[in-house]
Amino acid sequence: MKHGRYPFILSFLALPVGLYAWLVILPFAQAFQISLTDWSGSTNTFNYIGFDNYANLFKDDRLVIPALQHTGIILVVLPVVTIALGLFFAFMLNLGGRSRQGRIEGVRGSRFHKIVFFFPQVLSVAIIGILWKQVYAPENFGGLITGALTAVGLPAPANGFLADKRFVLAAVIGVLVWSAVGFYLVFFSSAMASIPRDLYEAGIIDGAGRFQMFFKITLPLLWDSVQTAWIYLSIVALDVFVLVYMMTPERGGPDAASEVVGGVIWKYAFNDGEQAFASAIGVVLFFAALTLAVVSLRFGPRERIEY
Amino acid sequence: MTITPADRQAIFTRRNLFGATAAGLAATSLGACATSGGDDEADEVTVGDDAENPFGVDGSAPLDVVIFDGGFGQEYAVAHQAMYNEAFPDAEITSLATQQIGETQQPRFAEGKPADVLDNSGASQLPMDSLVSDGELAELTPLLDAPSYDDPEVTVGDTLREGVLKAGTFNGKVYALNYVFNAWTIWYDAKLFRDQGWTPPTTWDEMIALCPTIQAAGIAPWTYAGQHPVYLYDMYLMLAGRHGGVQVLKDIDNLVADAWSNPSLVAAAEALRNLGDSGYLLSGSAGIDHIQSQTAFNNNEAAFLPCGSWLPNEQKAIAPEGFEYAPMGVPYLEGSVQPGLISAGGDEPFVVPKNATNLAGAYEYLRIMLSQEGSQIFSDAVSAATIVKGVELENETARMTDALVQNPEDMFQPQFRYWYKKMDDEMRPALGQLINAETTAQEFLDRMQSVADEVAADDTIEKFTHED
Repeated sequence: MKHGRYPFILSFLALPVGLYAWLVILPFAQAFQISLTDWSGSTNTFNYIGFDNYANLFKDDRLVIPALQHTGIILVVLPVVTIALGLFFAFMLNLGGRSRQGRIEGVRGSRFHKIVFFFPQVLSVAIIGILWKQVYAPENFGGLITGALTAVGLPAPANGFLADKRFVLAAVIGVLVWSAVGFYLVFFSSAMASIPRDLYEAGIIDGAGRFQMFFKITLPLLWDSVQTAWIYLSIVALDVFVLVYMMTPERGGPDAASEVVGGVIWKYAFNDGEQAFASAIGVVLFFAALTLAVVSLRFGPRERIEY
Repeated sequence: MTITPADRQAIFTRRNLFGATAAGLAATSLGACATSGGDDEADEVTVGDDAENPFGVDGSAPLDVVIFDGGFGQEYAVAHQAMYNEAFPDAEITSLATQQIGETQQPRFAEGKPADVLDNSGASQLPMDSLVSDGELAELTPLLDAPSYDDPEVTVGDTLREGVLKAGTFNGKVYALNYVFNAWTIWYDAKLFRDQGWTPPTTWDEMIALCPTIQAAGIAPWTYAGQHPVYLYDMYLMLAGRHGGVQVLKDIDNLVADAWSNPSLVAAAEALRNLGDSGYLLSGSAGIDHIQSQTAFNNNEAAFLPCGSWLPNEQKAIAPEGFEYAPMGVPYLEGSVQPGLISAGGDEPFVVPKNATNLAGAYEYLRIMLSQEGSQIFSDAVSAATIVKGVELENETARMTDALVQNPEDMFQPQFRYWYKKMDDEMRPALGQLINAETTAQEFLDRMQSVADEVAADDTIEKFTHED
């Protein structure tokens, strides 16, 4: 039967692979092609101009350079903060409580907390953007945080957080963390559930505190999950666009203080009529993402601990 | 892009799977979807002798119209299309009303199959500068030279208000018909001013003197849409232009060397900065959008608001009882040489793509829009004026605006915002910082001068100049 097997398999693969090639690989390949032209996006004529777009890319200190810096910052801060918070909350909810009769449990009401933390995950990004835009609004216009700060006598930016160059990027990252942490809390919780309790009980008998239990037992055994979370969050970080588009003044402002790479690609492609330049940024982003994925997978696997 | 059966054959043998896929990709990507449209030779339309049908429209040819479904809606366009169908009953009209002009129309241009008439407006409009420099738009000269709909003795061009075609003119050629007549003004509530006994200020000093009085009434003197500093453009530029004369602004548009160091621009920048510095802006203004600023204005939280002529119509449904929208020119600085200067002219650019299938029909459609009846339809539907002369204005606000734009010499729309996207992108945040006193006037001007120099030095950017 071996003879007929491949056509059989291929006949199943043809459609998905064909669609994938047509809808994913081909547009990618075309972005490379377009990035070598001067195509504006709204004409069917263009010239090949070599690597000029790439050369100009790193001279653009109005949009591209700030965007690369901001995306870089998000790439570092978002995974670190989200994973740290996710792990902390998951630990507290699963193992952080008082041990009663030798049993280790989470803090009181942990199931309720889990659900509440997960809420942002079920909201669409657009809703999150609108919601937080209001939360960050100027005090005069019903901003929650600015209002709360003033109420307790602390200084708050008069024009709200999003119109202030110093705070806007942090404000966007804050929303990203807020909306992601619930998912990673649940993600890490389920991973923690598979760690045998006797390890902790042994730890307690040996006099380990919560702090030691976390760093000596939980974290090493969760390393695979942390790594997965890291890759996911890095992809999210490279992809930040909708929130910036929804929340910030001039979609990346004020004065480019919250520009991210995705947003700059959109601006060049659809606002400025420089589709080719946008494609060049896209290609750079593609290679950045690829490098990131390769690096994290290469340096990833530690020795697996069987338990 | 199509996959031919031959490709399929080659790809789906096991041994060649990878190689063929790669080769197939390489081959198709060279002529694939986004960049593969044919470049047909565009037809030319000439003006014939028949006053009824000067462009020689084929009555059975379909017409494809795209309308920006924004503040003006699409009601008027439906009526215009009915007029077209009255003249050509066999023509099938496809009409799309959308806010996503860029998203829906850019692919059609790329494919070489654009609409026949396109209302290229709104936040996602296609950039006019690249459409023009790509040669994607048809010149509107045949339309302007054609006999008008109502009177064959008068050309279409002669039925228009003076100066309204400037906004759509690129290097002396008219590519866009800016159909709506718009003026950028400063708005105030006439009732509030009457009740409080305030006189609307005509000079900047009067305005500044009035500010403490306004504040004493618990009202902030000014607000604006801080998230969209574009609303400050004409306030700042007219302040400078009134002071130094229109040439100051033309020099900016024409990228004249050191245009931004003109003393009038300095004076206007300092005046604007002083507003924020003196605390005359409604607190939080920099963080709000146009809806919030207009709501604050409607609620009498702020006395002055810079906005365009569409404001009263836009607020129609939500305006508070008794609120009287009144426009005025920006209060001018002492020593102004052209205190009547105002940013007014055509807005809402209608374009005809060069590769339009029914070019003659597109011109005819625009000719119908510019007829007295077509113009009246628009005015009735949205209570805003069109660029056609001699249409009766019933609305009080519209009449007040009209009074501001009596002298054609004083009408000027700064163009660098449309001509050079790069300068526009720099101007917006720079203005926002200036009015909030986050930069000095000099820093603001230096910043604008350096981007102007960059644009001037960049050979890849097509340059435009004012005719006179």
